[in-house]
Amino acid sequence: MEAALSGLLILADPYLLALILIATLGGVLVGALPGLNATTGVALLLPFTITMEPIPAIVILTTIYCAATFAGAITAILINTPGTSASATTCLDGYPMSQRGEAGRALGMAAVSSTIGGIISIICLMMAAPLLARAAYHFAPPEYFALTIFGLSMLASIGNGSPIKNILSGAFGVLLATVGIDLLTSIERFTFDVNELSEGIGFVPVMIGIFGISELLVQASRLDVVREQVSMKAIKLPSRADYAKVWKTILRSSGIGTFIGILPAEGATVASMIGYNEAKRWSKTPEEFGKGAIEGIAGSEAANNAATGGAMVPTLALGIPGSPTAAVILAGMMVHGLRPGPTLFTEQSDFVYAIFWSMMIVNLLFFVIGLYGAKLFARVTLVPMQILWPIVFTFSIVGAYALEQSMADVWIALIFGLIGFAMRRYGYSVVPMAIGLILGGMLETRLGQSMIMLDDQWWLMATRPLTLFFLVLTVLALFGPFVWKKITAKTARNNPLGLSK
Amino acid sequence: MQFIKGNHPARWVVPLIIIVLSALAFWQSTQFDRVPPILKRGMQPEDFPQIIIALIIFLAVLLLIKDTDEAPEKMTGKVWPSMALMIAFALVIEIDLFLGLGVFSFLLCLLWGEKRVKALLLVGIVVPLIVFFFFDQVFEIRFPKGILTNLWYG
Repeated sequence: MEAALSGLLILADPYLLALILIATLGGVLVGALPGLNATTGVALLLPFTITMEPIPAIVILTTIYCAATFAGAITAILINTPGTSASATTCLDGYPMSQRGEAGRALGMAAVSSTIGGIISIICLMMAAPLLARAAYHFAPPEYFALTIFGLSMLASIGNGSPIKNILSGAFGVLLATVGIDLLTSIERFTFDVNELSEGIGFVPVMIGIFGISELLVQASRLDVVREQVSMKAIKLPSRADYAKVWKTILRSSGIGTFIGILPAEGATVASMIGYNEAKRWSKTPEEFGKGAIEGIAGSEAANNAATGGAMVPTLALGIPGSPTAAVILAGMMVHGLRPGPTLFTEQSDFVYAIFWSMMIVNLLFFVIGLYGAKLFARVTLVPMQILWPIVFTFSIVGAYALEQSMADVWIALIFGLIGFAMRRYGYSVVPMAIGLILGGMLETRLGQSMIMLDDQWWLMATRPLTLFFLVLTVLALFGPFVWKKITAKTARNNPLGLSK
Repeated sequence: MQFIKGNHPARWVVPLIIIVLSALAFWQSTQFDRVPPILKRGMQPEDFPQIIIALIIFLAVLLLIKDTDEAPEKMTGKVWPSMALMIAFALVIEIDLFLGLGVFSFLLCLLWGEKRVKALLLVGIVVPLIVFFFFDQVFEIRFPKGILTNLWYG
């Protein structure tokens, strides 16, 4: 309670409040621009925070995360292009509503459900994260190793790509983390006599490369896409009838979003898909979905914003990112010398609560900005690509250079831009690679410590109940979907008409 | 990114490239210095990378057998020219980082269809200048010396 109050007091600083306001506007802008999303925005802005104290720096990054996730709905509703992948399901009903002249009502519902989803998840975050951190406080290296393996195994189900490719991409990220001097033996690995590599490959230039520069090349193949904006008079708050129709959906999606967000590596995109599907499944009028159902917008938007708070639970409490954007925020915390995990809650609890409160403020701020500024931000979405992307490239390169003031980082950003583009082109998501790079160092260190602790008898890890529990979860995460698919396929074969007894 | 159906070379070329590169990385890991057995605590420096490389090779072999993904469509639009510009940028930054940024931004903007001179000057000159002075003055970042940055640094 004391920590919560001191966290709130930290935010009483006008400088911090002004930063939150500016970052919220910036986040909404990032989310509204097609091609840019929360992860890219946070990766690009991370270098701008290097000269700041840790609290304002991380507050800015989390603010952009929350605001950009909300703003994806603006483009989804007005130009049928989701600003972020988490808003893809919002297009399904948002755009048809806009076409029949109800853009203001759709945006109003998006703002309300996003705010409620976000606030519910932050309340859960404030309660769950300290409890989780307390439980993890007594974890020994084998438990941490197994937990990190579990976090990495969840990468298999990221996006809609092949699980094998996702794990392969994650393993590549872990391998990249071994470049440089080995912390346990002080021996150089994969440095090829390049001095700049002896401290390893930096998170920031890699993130800028795979999220920012590779996206430029993706956009180069989409220049012929025509974006037309549907006209909107004014944003309209939901009516009583709307509230009566959607309140259950908002609550359900907020719960789903928070839970999905807490699962390592699963983010707002998965949450919004499940939130939308559940809204349709429970609706009295499922046939309206896809034709402009207001419940569809509520189901998708409440879930994706709830996932932002949920994703910060494992990020802060365990140091395991809950979503791709949380992974970049985690990298930002490490750059600022913070060590997310249980010790963060005991040693810097006021910092943690300042983050929680700032996220709460952002959710209220983007509600106001969403209501009064959506029309303006909607116009920003029509910025020509040929002007936007050269500017993004300039910021990417200067940002990559600025952190260590090293040209080697510019080269790393460029090389990973090309690698990221090639990976995306052949169906390999770049998100597992980013998370693998961040968690790789921790994974190896925990394994090394476990080996020392267990006297090189690694199989003794299975005799520790919690370690075994996480390892079983890992097996379930990796093989559960395959087994389930086989079972459902077999059931369908045995009962082709789906008739029940 | 759009995909086309059918059997395609990428289906086996990409996993094969991964396997070859992983084999090279594995060989490289055998060249690492080792900790003398008497001082060894836990793992040797090559142990962990070798486990990961073995996993990558195993997964790539699985992909060779099981991959059902479709091949990406032929690269259309301005992808190849944009990539070529990026390589040209990498060469020009050896002379001056901001010269590279200005030239790249200007040419990319032109390549992607911008005809207005004001817009071209904005992304090619104004934005790099603002970014340079912003980082130089606000964040006190010192950029590498080059023919343009020397005009400011002296």
